[in-house]
Amino acid sequence: MRVRQWSRDLGMGAKFAFTGGREGWSRVLLTAVGVGLGVALLLLTTAIPSALAARDDRAHARGDFTYSEMKTPKGDNTVLVGKVDTTYRQRDVRGRELQPEGVRAPLPPGVTKFPEPGEMVVSPALKELLESGDGKLLRERVPYRVVGTIGESGLIGSQELAYYTGGKQLASKADGGRVARITDFSEGETYPSDGLDPVLILLILVVFVVLLTPVAIFIAAAVRFGGERRDRRLAALRLVGSDSHMTRRIAAGEALAGSALGLVFGAAFFLVGREIAGSVEFFGVSVFPSYLNPSPALAALVAVTVPVAAVLVTLFALRRVVIEPLGVVRTAKPARRRLWWRLLLPLGGLAMLYPMMGQGKNNGEFNEYLVTGGVVLLLIGVTALLPWIVDAVVARLGSGSVSWQLAVRRLQLSGGTAARMVNGIAVAVAGAIALQMLFSGVQSQYTEPSPQDLSRAQMQVTVPSATPLASAAEQFTRTKGVRDVMAFSEGWLGDRRKDPNRSSSVAVGDCAALREVAALPSCRDGDVFALQGGEYDTDTPKLADSGRTLYIDPGYDDGERGKQVAWTVPRALKQAESRTDPTGTKRGGFLFTPSALPAKAGPALRGQVYLKLDSSVPDVYDLVRNTAAKIDRYGDPMVWTSGERSDAYSSIRTGLFVGAACVLALIGASLLVSQLEQLRERKRLLSALVAFGTRRRTLSLSVLWQTAVPVGLGLALSAVVGLTLGTVLLKMTDVPVSVDWASVLSMTGIGALVVLAVTLLSLPPLLRMMRPDGLRTE
Amino acid sequence: MTPAGALLAAHDLRKAYGPTNALDGAEFSIHPGEVVAVMGPSGSGKSTLLHCLAGIVPPDSGSILYNGHEMATMSDARRSALRRSEFGFVFQFGQLVPELTCVENVALPLRLNGTSRKEAERTALSWMERLEVDGLRGKRPGEISGGQGQRVAVARALVTNPRVLFADEPTGALDSLNGERVMELLTEAARSANAAVVLVTHEARVAAYSDREIVVRDGKSRDMERIV
Repeated sequence: MRVRQWSRDLGMGAKFAFTGGREGWSRVLLTAVGVGLGVALLLLTTAIPSALAARDDRAHARGDFTYSEMKTPKGDNTVLVGKVDTTYRQRDVRGRELQPEGVRAPLPPGVTKFPEPGEMVVSPALKELLESGDGKLLRERVPYRVVGTIGESGLIGSQELAYYTGGKQLASKADGGRVARITDFSEGETYPSDGLDPVLILLILVVFVVLLTPVAIFIAAAVRFGGERRDRRLAALRLVGSDSHMTRRIAAGEALAGSALGLVFGAAFFLVGREIAGSVEFFGVSVFPSYLNPSPALAALVAVTVPVAAVLVTLFALRRVVIEPLGVVRTAKPARRRLWWRLLLPLGGLAMLYPMMGQGKNNGEFNEYLVTGGVVLLLIGVTALLPWIVDAVVARLGSGSVSWQLAVRRLQLSGGTAARMVNGIAVAVAGAIALQMLFSGVQSQYTEPSPQDLSRAQMQVTVPSATPLASAAEQFTRTKGVRDVMAFSEGWLGDRRKDPNRSSSVAVGDCAALREVAALPSCRDGDVFALQGGEYDTDTPKLADSGRTLYIDPGYDDGERGKQVAWTVPRALKQAESRTDPTGTKRGGFLFTPSALPAKAGPALRGQVYLKLDSSVPDVYDLVRNTAAKIDRYGDPMVWTSGERSDAYSSIRTGLFVGAACVLALIGASLLVSQLEQLRERKRLLSALVAFGTRRRTLSLSVLWQTAVPVGLGLALSAVVGLTLGTVLLKMTDVPVSVDWASVLSMTGIGALVVLAVTLLSLPPLLRMMRPDGLRTE
Repeated sequence: MTPAGALLAAHDLRKAYGPTNALDGAEFSIHPGEVVAVMGPSGSGKSTLLHCLAGIVPPDSGSILYNGHEMATMSDARRSALRRSEFGFVFQFGQLVPELTCVENVALPLRLNGTSRKEAERTALSWMERLEVDGLRGKRPGEISGGQGQRVAVARALVTNPRVLFADEPTGALDSLNGERVMELLTEAARSANAAVVLVTHEARVAAYSDREIVVRDGKSRDMERIV
C-alpha cells in the first residue's frame, strides 16, 4: 500500500512536471539542464582513467624500442625502426624510420603500407600542421612526401603529431638505442614503467574527490531550481485535498522527472563533450572520443543515484516548508540550526585520516577507502557548516544603508538558500587549497632542480662521432638566433687497451671552449691539461704521468669495442683547476686543444655543442633543431630549463587545473541560474520598489551584498577547511607543513571572481526586471 | 488647458504597448486633498494612466503637469526623486518586502530619502499606530494577514507625507470587510494629511470613498462629475 501510494504520488508529480504548462516545462528544463551538466561532467571525469588506459594500450601496441640486451637477428619477419623524434614549438613530434627486412616484416598499427624512403605517412594533426603556414619550419625538418595518414589505432591521441618515413641503410646503426630491429610492435616497451608511488596515488584520489564532490553538490542544487514557484503550485493541490506528505511526494515526483530528463540530457551532453574533447589538446594530452568510456557499472550507478538523490534532496528541502491551502505558503520561522551534527562530519573525516598520519611515501600504500571517505566527509562538512555559520553571522549583522539592510534581512530570512548557492564554490576552493598545499609540499620530492647554468647556454646538441665537430659548430654559428657556440669532443681514456683499471674523461676544444670548463694558466693550440678538483675524479692525478702511454677509447671485455688509440702523456702537460661548466658540473680528466689529439682518435669521440641563444628571435629553438636535424637526423637537441619536473607529478597537476576550471565554470553557471530565478521571483516587488523611488543603484548593491556576504563567509570557511585538510595530507605524506599563502589567496580570489562575474552577469536582467512592466497585471 | 489650482493634471495622454493603445487622449486633473477614483473595466487603461501620472512610465505623447512642472520631460532620476519625496503608492498585493519587518517596510521610503534609521522607524511607528497596525511592528509580511499587510502598505505610502497618494486596486485582494476598513483608514489619513489620492478601482463601493470619479474606457477618460 505504502509503495503503491509512493509510486502513485511520485508518478503524479512527474506528470505535473510535464503537463504544468510553460512554467512547469521551464522548471523541468532548468532542472534537467542543471542535472545534465553535472551528469555529463561526472561521466567525463570518470571516463578519464579509461581514456588514459586506452592511451597506454595504444602506446604499448606500437612500442618498438625494447631497450633489451638481446639482439634480434635479421629475418624476413624483421623491420628496422629508427627513432627520429623531435620537438616543434614545445609540442612533441613522434617520428620513426621504417625499413622492412623481409616480406613478413610487421607493420606498425594504423599503417597499411611501408612508406618508401623520401615518403611518409602522417597523423591527421601533423598533416594539418604541415599544410598550414604554422608548420613551415617543421616542414624543413621532415621534407618527405606525404603518401598517407596513420589510422586511429596507431595514435595515442587525436591531436598527436606523428609520422613514419621510409628508412635506408639502418642495419649498420641497429644498436638498440637509435635504431632497433624488431619482429612485433607490441613487444616493445614504450618506457620503463616504475609504477606510481603511494603519494602520487594519494594525490590522484584527492584530486578526484575534490573535483567530483562539488559536482554532486551542484546536482543537489539543480534539483531545487524553481522551488518557490513549485511550492505555490503545490498549495493549490492542498486546497483540493492533498495532505502534506502527499504534497511532498508529488514535489519529489516533479524533481524525479527533472532528474530523469537530466540523465537523458547528461548522456547527450556527454556525447557532445566527448566529441569536443576529441578535438582539443590539454597540456599536450589529447584523446580520441572513443577513449572516453565510463565503465558500465559507474554509468549504472549514476543512472540510479541521481534520480534517488533528487527525491531525497526534495523531501529534505521541504521538511521545514509548510504548504497550506488557499495558495499561502508559510515558511515557518526557521528552527535554530544545530551545530553538533554539522561538526561531526569534518571531525569524522579527520578521524578517518588520522591513522595514516606520518606514513610517508616509504611506508606502504594509503588505504584508499579511508582517504576517499575522510576527504569527502571533510568537504561535505563545509556544506553542512556553511548554513550554520551564515545564519550565526548574519543574525549578528547590524543594519547600515538601505541596500545593506535589504541584503542582510534577506539573508536572515533565507540564509540556507544563500549558503546553498555558495556551497559548491566553497567546497571546490577548500579542496583546491588543500591540493595546492599538498602539491607545494611534495614538489621538492618530484621536481629536481636543474644544475645547468642558463646564463651560459640554453641548448645542448650531441653530434655523432662520424661528423666533424668543427663543421657542425660552424653550421650552428651560421644559424639565426645563435649568439655563441661552445663545441667539445668528448670521450674516455684508460691505462690499458682493454678493460682499463683506471680511466678518465677527455674533452677536446679550442682555448675559448676549454676556458668554460677550467681556469687555464695559459693556452695555445697543442696544449694538453690535466684537471684538478673535478667531481668524482680520483684517477686523473694517477694517470697524468709524463711519458706514460694511455689509450683513448679503450675496449671492454663485455664486447664493447673501442678505437684504442695510444697516446703518450706529454712532458709539457699543464695542470688546470676545474671550474663549474655550463652543465653545472666540475669535470675531471684531460683537456686537449685540437692539434694535441692524435689524428686517429677523432672518430672515437662524440661531439657536444652548447649554444647560447638570442631568445628574442622567434622560433629560435626550432631554427637550431632544423640545423641539428641536417647534421644528424637522430639527434634530439635538448632545451635547458630551470627545473625538471617528474612527468607523473606534472600530469596530476595538469588534471587538477583542467578539472578545477570545468567545475568552477559549472558552479558559476548554477549560481547564475539560481540568481536569475530569485530575481524572477521578485520581479513584481522590484518594480514596486522602483515605483516608489528606490534607486537602481540601491537594489543592485543589495544584490551584490546578498552574494558577497555568504561568499565571503564561504571562502573564509573553505580557507580554514582547506588549510586543515592540506595540513593533514602533508602530515600523511610526512612532509613538513608549510602554508603556501599565495595559492590560498589565488584560489579564494578565483572563487570570488566567479561570484563577481555571476553578479555582473545578473545585473542586466536585474535592471530589466526593475522596469515598471512588472506592475502590469493585465 | 490645466484646470485652475490643479496639483496634478494630464492632457491628451497617449501610450501604446505594441499594437494596443492603452491610453488614447486621456485627460486628468486632481486638486490638493481631493480623492479621485479612476474607474473602468479590466484592460481599459486605468493602471497605465496611474503609472503615467506617477512618472513610473513616460507617455508616448501628451503633457503631465505636477505643481506646474512638466513631468514628461523630466529625467528618470528626477522622476524617481519625485516619487520618493512627493508621492506615495499602494498596490493590490501590498508589495511589502518579505524579508523586512513591518516597521522596516514602513520606514523604507524615509530611509531611501536619507532619514536615519532611528528617526525613520520612529515616524513609521506613529503612522502604524494611526493605521492600527503598530502591534505588528516586529513581524514579517509572511506572518500577517492580507488586510493587515494592506494597512501596513498604506502606512508605508503615507509615511513621507506625500502630496499625492496613488492607490492601484488597494482592496482588490481583500474581503469586503477588510477592504472597507482599509479604505476608511486610507481616505481618513490622506485627508488629514491634505494628500490628494488617485484611486484606481473597478469596484463602485470603493469608488464611493472618492470626491470625484473618472471613467476610463478604451484609453479615453470621462470626468463623471462634469457630466453629472
